[in-house]
Amino acid sequence: MPKTLSQSRKRQFTVPLRLCVRVFCIGLTTLSLARATAAEPITPEQAEFFEKTVRPVLVENCLRCHGPKVKEFGLRLDSRAAMLKGGDGGPVLQPGEPDKSSLIEVVRQTGPVKMPQKGKLKPTEIDALAAWVKMGAPWPTSTAGNDDTAWKKHWAFQPVRNPDPPSLKNSQWPLTPIDRFILAKLEAQGVPPSPAADRRTLIRRVTFDLIGLPPSPEEVAAFEADAAPGAFARVVERLLASPHYGERWGRYWLDVARYADTKGYVFFQDANYPWAYTYRDYVVRSFNDDLPYDQFVVEQLAADRLPLGADRRPLTALGFLTVGGRFMNNPHDILDDRIDVVTRGLLGLTVTCARCHDHKFDPIAAKDYYALYGVFASSSEPEVPPLFADPPKTDVYAAFEKELTTREGKLNEFVQKKQAEVFGTARTRAAEYLLAAHVQHGQPPTEEFMLIADGTDLNPAMLSRWRTYLERTRKRHHPVFAPWHAFAELPEAEFAAKSMELCKRWKTGSDPARALNAIVRDSFAEKPATSLADAAKRYGELLNATEKQWQDALNEAAAAKTPPPTVLPDAAREELRQVFHGPDAPPNVPVGLFNDLALLPDRPSQGELQKLRKAVEDWRANGAGAPPRAMVLQDAVTPLEPHVFLRGNPNNPGEAVPRRFLTVLSNGEPKPFHEGSGRLELAKSIVDRKNPLTARVLVNRIWMHHFGTGLVRTPSDFGLRSSPPSHPDLLDHLATSFMETHWSIKKLHRQILLSAVYQQASLDRTDGRKADPENVLLWRMNRRRLDFEATRDALLAVSGRLDSTVGGPPVRDILAPAATRRTLYGFIDRQTLPTLFRTFDFPSPDATNPQRDNTTIPQQALFLMNNPFVVECTRGLLKRPDLSNEQAIASRVERLYRVLYGRTPKKEELALAQDFLNGQEDKTVAWERYTQALLIANEFSFVD
Amino acid sequence: MNSLSDPHGGNLPLTRRELLRRGGMGCGLLGLAGVLAADGLVTDAARADATDINPLAPKLPHFKPKAQRLVHLFMNGGPSHVDTFDPKPALEKYHGKPLNSPNLRTERKTAGALRSPFAFKKYGQCGTEVSELFARTAEHIDEMCVIRSMAADVPNHEPSLMLMNCGDGRLSRPSLGAWLTYGLGSENQNLPGFIAMCPAGYPIVGPQNWRAAFLPGAYQGTYIDTQHAEITKLIENIKNPAASLKDQRRQLDLVKRLNEIHLAERGSDGALEARIQNFELAFRMQTEATDAFDISKEPPATRDLYGPGVHGRQLLITRRLLERGVRVVQVWSGAGQPWDNHDNLAAEHKKLAREWDQPICAFLHDLKARGLFDSTLVMWGGEFGRTPVAELPGLSGRDHNHYGFSMWLAGGGARGGYVHGATDEFGFAAVENKVHVHDLHATVLHLLGFDHEKLTYRYAGRDFRLTDVHGQVVKELIS
Repeated sequence: MPKTLSQSRKRQFTVPLRLCVRVFCIGLTTLSLARATAAEPITPEQAEFFEKTVRPVLVENCLRCHGPKVKEFGLRLDSRAAMLKGGDGGPVLQPGEPDKSSLIEVVRQTGPVKMPQKGKLKPTEIDALAAWVKMGAPWPTSTAGNDDTAWKKHWAFQPVRNPDPPSLKNSQWPLTPIDRFILAKLEAQGVPPSPAADRRTLIRRVTFDLIGLPPSPEEVAAFEADAAPGAFARVVERLLASPHYGERWGRYWLDVARYADTKGYVFFQDANYPWAYTYRDYVVRSFNDDLPYDQFVVEQLAADRLPLGADRRPLTALGFLTVGGRFMNNPHDILDDRIDVVTRGLLGLTVTCARCHDHKFDPIAAKDYYALYGVFASSSEPEVPPLFADPPKTDVYAAFEKELTTREGKLNEFVQKKQAEVFGTARTRAAEYLLAAHVQHGQPPTEEFMLIADGTDLNPAMLSRWRTYLERTRKRHHPVFAPWHAFAELPEAEFAAKSMELCKRWKTGSDPARALNAIVRDSFAEKPATSLADAAKRYGELLNATEKQWQDALNEAAAAKTPPPTVLPDAAREELRQVFHGPDAPPNVPVGLFNDLALLPDRPSQGELQKLRKAVEDWRANGAGAPPRAMVLQDAVTPLEPHVFLRGNPNNPGEAVPRRFLTVLSNGEPKPFHEGSGRLELAKSIVDRKNPLTARVLVNRIWMHHFGTGLVRTPSDFGLRSSPPSHPDLLDHLATSFMETHWSIKKLHRQILLSAVYQQASLDRTDGRKADPENVLLWRMNRRRLDFEATRDALLAVSGRLDSTVGGPPVRDILAPAATRRTLYGFIDRQTLPTLFRTFDFPSPDATNPQRDNTTIPQQALFLMNNPFVVECTRGLLKRPDLSNEQAIASRVERLYRVLYGRTPKKEELALAQDFLNGQEDKTVAWERYTQALLIANEFSFVD
Repeated sequence: MNSLSDPHGGNLPLTRRELLRRGGMGCGLLGLAGVLAADGLVTDAARADATDINPLAPKLPHFKPKAQRLVHLFMNGGPSHVDTFDPKPALEKYHGKPLNSPNLRTERKTAGALRSPFAFKKYGQCGTEVSELFARTAEHIDEMCVIRSMAADVPNHEPSLMLMNCGDGRLSRPSLGAWLTYGLGSENQNLPGFIAMCPAGYPIVGPQNWRAAFLPGAYQGTYIDTQHAEITKLIENIKNPAASLKDQRRQLDLVKRLNEIHLAERGSDGALEARIQNFELAFRMQTEATDAFDISKEPPATRDLYGPGVHGRQLLITRRLLERGVRVVQVWSGAGQPWDNHDNLAAEHKKLAREWDQPICAFLHDLKARGLFDSTLVMWGGEFGRTPVAELPGLSGRDHNHYGFSMWLAGGGARGGYVHGATDEFGFAAVENKVHVHDLHATVLHLLGFDHEKLTYRYAGRDFRLTDVHGQVVKELIS
């Protein structure tokens, strides 16, 4: 791997600067010197050059006709060998000799053959191809799909092992098997571990760690006084049983789940997710209940497919998939986000890199991406999110429901009417669509943007479907539309004459490869088209006559109570029927593909829809007696059969691919999913114990939150460019025992917390720093700064103002000075997240988040110095009876130190307090300033 | 190279990160970057590492930059190019008639040509034609680089705003300002590195326009509602409501002492030290920011030069921020989309331009007078332009047009007195030397010293950059 060029962005510390720098300098200038004519091993720079500048040109412009599927002129351009072999005209590549390579000649378009057909490449693209040939046409073989060996050795794809804990010199220190793995590495480096932390440090550490709040002075004292064996284990148990445990650890999971209470920018819809909190509460509850992780995963992906019984609360788990952003309602981006949260979040694989092309580093082909795309594209949110608990049998609820049904009825009626109009007129106005698509041919595409139209216009999104469909029939011979495309080529002035000729020729034509649909052919033979408009009209008539036959056949079958027909008996008729009903037929719109704007391009309808929808949504969310709902997905009646989208472009579909799991994690060719969308099968594949990633990824996340860094420092990327684990055996040991203990996260916590390595002191040591400055080997505990939630929650807790209610709807203004709920319950607006959140490194909810940044910027300090919330907390703290009852400076300061830091003040600190407080005119103010100083000092914000 | 980095040189084998930490805060880091830069070696890995210590410490770019800071005057809503910087006499001739060219599809329905209600005139030695709307701005035309061949992707506001600001129309990507602050840090630790000003609320899509996305939150733009004049309403938490600066100093001295005792017991710890420093920075920010935003400190003559309106105030603040080392300032026209004149364009554009013209003229003049012009890149434009044809049914305004529009650059290495590219006869589409938004981004990054392909950030398995897989530096725009 080109390691030096691909350093993980900030966590790869072991490559010396000089080496890094040297490789960086080589750059591309040396590439031209390399003139390998044989397939010599290629340099990382060559690989990068190829991947960045050559492969995209080939994929985008050549492989459609010269690839694995189609081999025009017997030529493939998808490997170096294929180019050297060449096609009907011989080799197209002479490595090192661009001027003698016909590949370059045809793209330069200097000879008789000019490629690509659709138009000349950009000069930079031609130069890139020529430069590549000149350097010997190096074709990297280590990327996905090409090489079977490189990735197979990658540690993360190896089965999880169960390594024996190593034997050691120092057998005194280890308390658990974890310690033996840690100590073995330390001993190898000759660095001893640190002594155990003192009790008050330990209880402060583990309390923040497990519940995100500080220990009370009484808890500290009790632990310090507990001389019986197992004192620490008892503290751990108490904390694991606290309802606040789920709030702390649930929030970590919500980072992964890119949780927010809004959709982001979505034009006219209500941007709120009124029920997102039911997912948040599900996560908190699952952690508190120690729901086995495999079940946690399955419920989040496919609770709707599980036999739930009476307790339907797990339906809320599907928020994992549905609380993502809506990307201005672009369906492909929504699906991409879901694929991302599942693959990076659960598997530590960056699968969405394969949206546009095979993954450049990991064994993930575009086909893998679209296999998953098919799964999620076959799942959609119901118009009405379901209830997950039986509604109360009260009059209030009955009235609520009645009103809701009325409002929903109006909305549905409107949408169905509009849908029937758009999908119906795609047929009845086929002639107009044909003509309009013809006019647009060669104009810049408009699929990508929102058009505003009048009510009577053709529907722009439908027009775009017609256009794509016709474009496909134009490129590949199509028995029905070949005549249309021939008509379309005719010059307007000579249309009638030329059309006559054509129609005559078709009648006698006998080329079987270019056979025409008999009905179309005969119709035009009988009466040639007089203009393109006439041709369109005639097509419209033929198609609609066919449609009538089809509808009649369906009606007859229904009347006779016989099974409905699946085809029309006459082959030519059936061919025509396919234009409206085939898998790619323009009017055959997959469920969910047309969003509001696509369905309703005109402002009056949009206005009407907006009004009706708002009436429903408002009532459903806020009407008197409205019960909470689950943000579920459900499977489409007919699952989507996905195709690869070339270069990620939905208008450029390539190869078909079944819905299935990732190849790299399957044993051989993955089996297609066959139960509905396949979400449940996907979930089961993810938590299959043979899957090498799921358990490793999760134990690494848990480890990371306990120690500040993971054993793998790229927690959502275990691919080939990730940093290898610092302790591979330990990672596997944890993963194995995690699965063996039924995926119990609480057991995993115990295993980690009761180890000696966790209980070490965090003090700096010269010998340790010298040998391992980043503390990768864990010769001490890492000192950590409180994150945003713990900072705010701790301020509330010590001030006695914390409202410890668990769960419920989000708090709109969590940053108000008077707000007292835990930060976790704040309303997360994806579009306008308050600046303060990100100021304190709260992750952007736009995508799944692997780990938080840890920056230090003045705005953080300004908040602590000046925000009225901090002042409120200071005052609250001083009003606590245990403090206000202490009148003397020394005793009150001592109590403050106990409450805030869990210890007594040193002499020096007491002296500082005396200096600060004595002689001040306004005692109250002086105490407030002093106390605030203690609250914003490092000792409060850091956990040793 | 510094021998500290040599694992075989007998010194401690330090990692880059440790090395940077050794360099200390702020200047030390710059010093190190200087050493690396002299060898052409500022790696992005080093840049990323540096973010851990002090995300806003000044950093050197890839190569010697023409500009050290950026001002983006954002005419949100989409100013009409054919009424400002791209004269089209043919519209006069065809006024009210259908155009003899493909009437490209835009968001709404349009009719025949709509002539410009504004007169164009040649300005400066270069003789570039500018409409009367920006007659004062055009006094600087010999230092302005007018791009008449800009192109974006779609004719809708939201994706076009995101494209212009973040390089992608839909997905969550960091803004140009965030990328620059990530790449360069800030020259003044007492002020935010990237400031976005908009009077009386947000432009549409709101803070996404200046977001940090997957970059650390430290690089997000700090939003300032310039409708207000009082400092406490401009910057969050900038002033303690109850304590005087003197009182606060006394309090922070105590914090400092407490922190020193705490640190002494724990030995070396960069994070503890950084947080100690941070309170000092924050304390200074209170006075410095207050000062920077207080335009009453300017002599009346200067204030008169900028004019009494909100844009005069915004630009005067901008100049004061630039002087103090702020890296990127984005100045918006107003909440929503003020330039979006589908109707009544003649009156509306006139009003908007009048609010901007004098302040821009004064601002450019002032930058020159203070020797800031050459090192400050000023960029003017909207998210797209407007159609040369009239919008139905009103026929008094223009629809959105992403096929071709105008922007201009000035100062900071932009080529003065130059007009780049052209739209077709009517101003519908860029036809000559088309400059896509990605190309503009590549060029802006270049002027600020970056190879746009190398200013990257590793995220979700990929090295992301502002220009994604696109963008060509437009050399002709550079002096």
